[in-house]
Amino acid sequence: MPSFLSPLFLVGAIAAAVPILLHLFHRKTEVVIDFPAVSLLKRVPVQQHRRRQLRELILLALRVVALVLLALSFARPYFPGAAAPASLPVTVIAVDTSLSLTAPGQFDRVRDAVARAVSAVPASHAISLISFSDAATVVVAPTSDRAAVTSSVEALAPGAGGTRFRTALARASEVIGTRAGRVVIVTDLQQSGWDANDDGGLPDGVDVEVLAIAPPAGNLAVTSAERRDRRIAASVQNYGTLEVKTPVRLLIAGQELARVDVTIAPLGAADVELAAPLPASGTAEVRVDDPAGYQADNGRAVALDPAPSARVGIVVTDPTGAIGGLYLERALAVAASGREFDIDVRDGREAGNWTRAEVSQMAAMFVLGTRSLERGGRDLIRTYLNEGGQVLLAAGPDVDMGTLGEVVGTRVAFDADPVRMPGATLIASDARHPIFRPFLSPSGALGDVQVEQHRRLTDQDGRVVLARFTGGDAALTEQAVGKGRLLIFTSDLDNQWSRFPLSPSFVPFAVETARYLASGSLDPGGAADRTSAGESNPAATSVAEFTNAIERTSRTAEQGHAIEARELEKQQNWWQVGVVMMLIALAVEALVGRRAT
Amino acid sequence: MAGAARYLDPAIVARLGTIDLKARTIVEGFLTGLHRSPYKGFSVEFAEYRQYLPGDDLATLDWKVFARSDKHFVKKYEEDTNLTCHLLIDVSRSMGYASGPISKLQYASFLTGALAYLMHRQRDAFGLIAFDDGISTMLPASARAGHLRTVLHALEKLETGAGTNVAKPLNDLAAAIRKRGMVVLVSDLLDDPASVLDGLKHFRYRGTDVIVFHIVDPYELKFPFEHAARFRDMETDEEVMALPGAVRDDYLHAMQHRIEHYRRELRLAGIDYCLLETSQPLELGLMSYLMTRRKVL
Repeated sequence: MPSFLSPLFLVGAIAAAVPILLHLFHRKTEVVIDFPAVSLLKRVPVQQHRRRQLRELILLALRVVALVLLALSFARPYFPGAAAPASLPVTVIAVDTSLSLTAPGQFDRVRDAVARAVSAVPASHAISLISFSDAATVVVAPTSDRAAVTSSVEALAPGAGGTRFRTALARASEVIGTRAGRVVIVTDLQQSGWDANDDGGLPDGVDVEVLAIAPPAGNLAVTSAERRDRRIAASVQNYGTLEVKTPVRLLIAGQELARVDVTIAPLGAADVELAAPLPASGTAEVRVDDPAGYQADNGRAVALDPAPSARVGIVVTDPTGAIGGLYLERALAVAASGREFDIDVRDGREAGNWTRAEVSQMAAMFVLGTRSLERGGRDLIRTYLNEGGQVLLAAGPDVDMGTLGEVVGTRVAFDADPVRMPGATLIASDARHPIFRPFLSPSGALGDVQVEQHRRLTDQDGRVVLARFTGGDAALTEQAVGKGRLLIFTSDLDNQWSRFPLSPSFVPFAVETARYLASGSLDPGGAADRTSAGESNPAATSVAEFTNAIERTSRTAEQGHAIEARELEKQQNWWQVGVVMMLIALAVEALVGRRAT
Repeated sequence: MAGAARYLDPAIVARLGTIDLKARTIVEGFLTGLHRSPYKGFSVEFAEYRQYLPGDDLATLDWKVFARSDKHFVKKYEEDTNLTCHLLIDVSRSMGYASGPISKLQYASFLTGALAYLMHRQRDAFGLIAFDDGISTMLPASARAGHLRTVLHALEKLETGAGTNVAKPLNDLAAAIRKRGMVVLVSDLLDDPASVLDGLKHFRYRGTDVIVFHIVDPYELKFPFEHAARFRDMETDEEVMALPGAVRDDYLHAMQHRIEHYRRELRLAGIDYCLLETSQPLELGLMSYLMTRRKVL
């Protein structure tokens, strides 16, 4: 017998009585016409009449069926009996395939651990295999075929991804569903696995077994490398507890062009400059020797091609004088001796003259003033942003709040009046964000930034706060708009509400912001570096710490049944069959009805 | 339609008073004059003497001429009745059908009355026979002055009867008619065509001229019904359920086939056939009659 997720919708089946009642009570009384030449009328019509009556009954049946099917579909039917095989207990084996399992021999130990886990799975359990790093993938869905799991493990290999425990637990939880189950996690218990700000846990009653893979004693990683004219500047991090002496090599096409031996203190880093005649284009690689550590972070590729200058547009209210984006233009001109950015400053009226092709080629756009923007200019910026453009809006006194929505294409709610807070400084919410990376060292701290006035954002929906003022108000936010990205700086960059443009922090802030925008990704390279950097650190938690860190979700019996019912209904999808049948019934009804008339 | 001619419109005629007024109105303005008959018969007006020939009725012998001349002469008189016409009107139930303002029977009555009036003006003798499946009314042919009123009164009193049986009254009448003349049949001919044709040919065998007015309603010719209905035969009460759209073509084909059949067979038999819709002016019928009469005379 079928059950229903939303049985109340079955009441809608009463509507099926409507066509029946119409059929019974609204049948037309047959008209009788006295006619003299009836003998000339053929008898065939009598049969047609019978056929017509039959057709009417078919039409009635089709209409009733369509309405009943509609009600049934809305009631979301499912057959509980089909759940029996899926209600078996399941053991989910989650295998860590992150970068931190790339140390020599480490993944062999992973495979051995999985094999032990498979053999230890109770015979009454189904078994499932999940691999996880940045994402979690179900490699083998619940099955009783142990051999399939074993062979699949052989095919697994560690990659360059980070570790995300919560993602893995969430996936395991999905696989277990409403059944009884247990989770076996094969991992190196890396501390950074809990860093990612994601969600995931396990339901109450699901046992966890951790098969820990020992991390290497230390690890060396090339954490950054970039070309600076004729040299390559690289950073090497030592994550071990012992001092390490290692050569740092510059390789092009496998040939060593330069080598520097460095000694790195425990948990320290070393900056290295590798000088060599570098070709104008191609790629080079910076490598360190680290036979015992993770292999995937021992080298870093460097693009040798000079990066083309990125076109940056600056929209101001008046391009003359101090309120014309002068500070920002000069700050960006510093980058790569003026070669990194191609800057185009325009006031609102002239901004409307940009062609769509010109705008689409811009790597980033800074909007410092909107008061002189006309409708065409507003449309241009909004379209640019929606189609993937990168925009920073400095919400200073030159920004017209009334038309701001038209400029950015999304609602940005500020308090009516600016907040006056003399002496407020900037505090980065995440110092590792690419924009604030230069301020990690004390000499470049943001503490010298003095802001006297700013606007207070009244809603934070969909925005990530990258920096705040000392009073707690958001100073710099980031959000997606359409396919593009919008940064909002809640004060001005023209030396009107703050002396920020006059501070030493302004140039690196402006350049890094422009670079960040020009990178064109909401998951910028800096974030990936951050993950990789964390992933290179072999520091691990204990099994107890790991187990305690798992978030547990409640699962009552009723909820379990409801979830099970939802899962079953989702698997069976009878409502789709119902809707399709209803559509077929309506199509046939239309066809028969058309022939009848 | 202007002047008196507009009174040939059956819808207008139907609104006139008595049938004699209707008949007079129809004929008014239509007649163009009468032809005197070349036939000589028995009449009160003397025409000429003719030498007695064996076989002549002795009653016509002029004894006075015989006494004076000792020769046998018979008197010839000009007949005041040139033609003896029998008006046969079908009063079967099917004639009661009316899709418009007048029924087929009313139309037939107007036509018959107009013909009677016309014959009266032409001093022709005329009789009336109304029939359905038998003869229901029969007025022998006469040219007397009061006969027209009698015929028109009878026409006014006509009511639809039972089913049609054209053949029987035709055969009965053919057997009864002794003298050459004309038979006018006004009917919807909803009978077995073979029987009808046999009856009509019976007259032709006896040398009687026949004109057939086939009265049909426009709906019988066009079958313009739209919605499914149960069609009940007006004579047999038989019912047929039909979707007009589905049977229209077959019906119209059958109707046309029947009309053409009558037209062809009657022409071959030397019988004039005139199809009249009840929406058509009555002058068509009168014109057909006069054409036929001219042939006869």
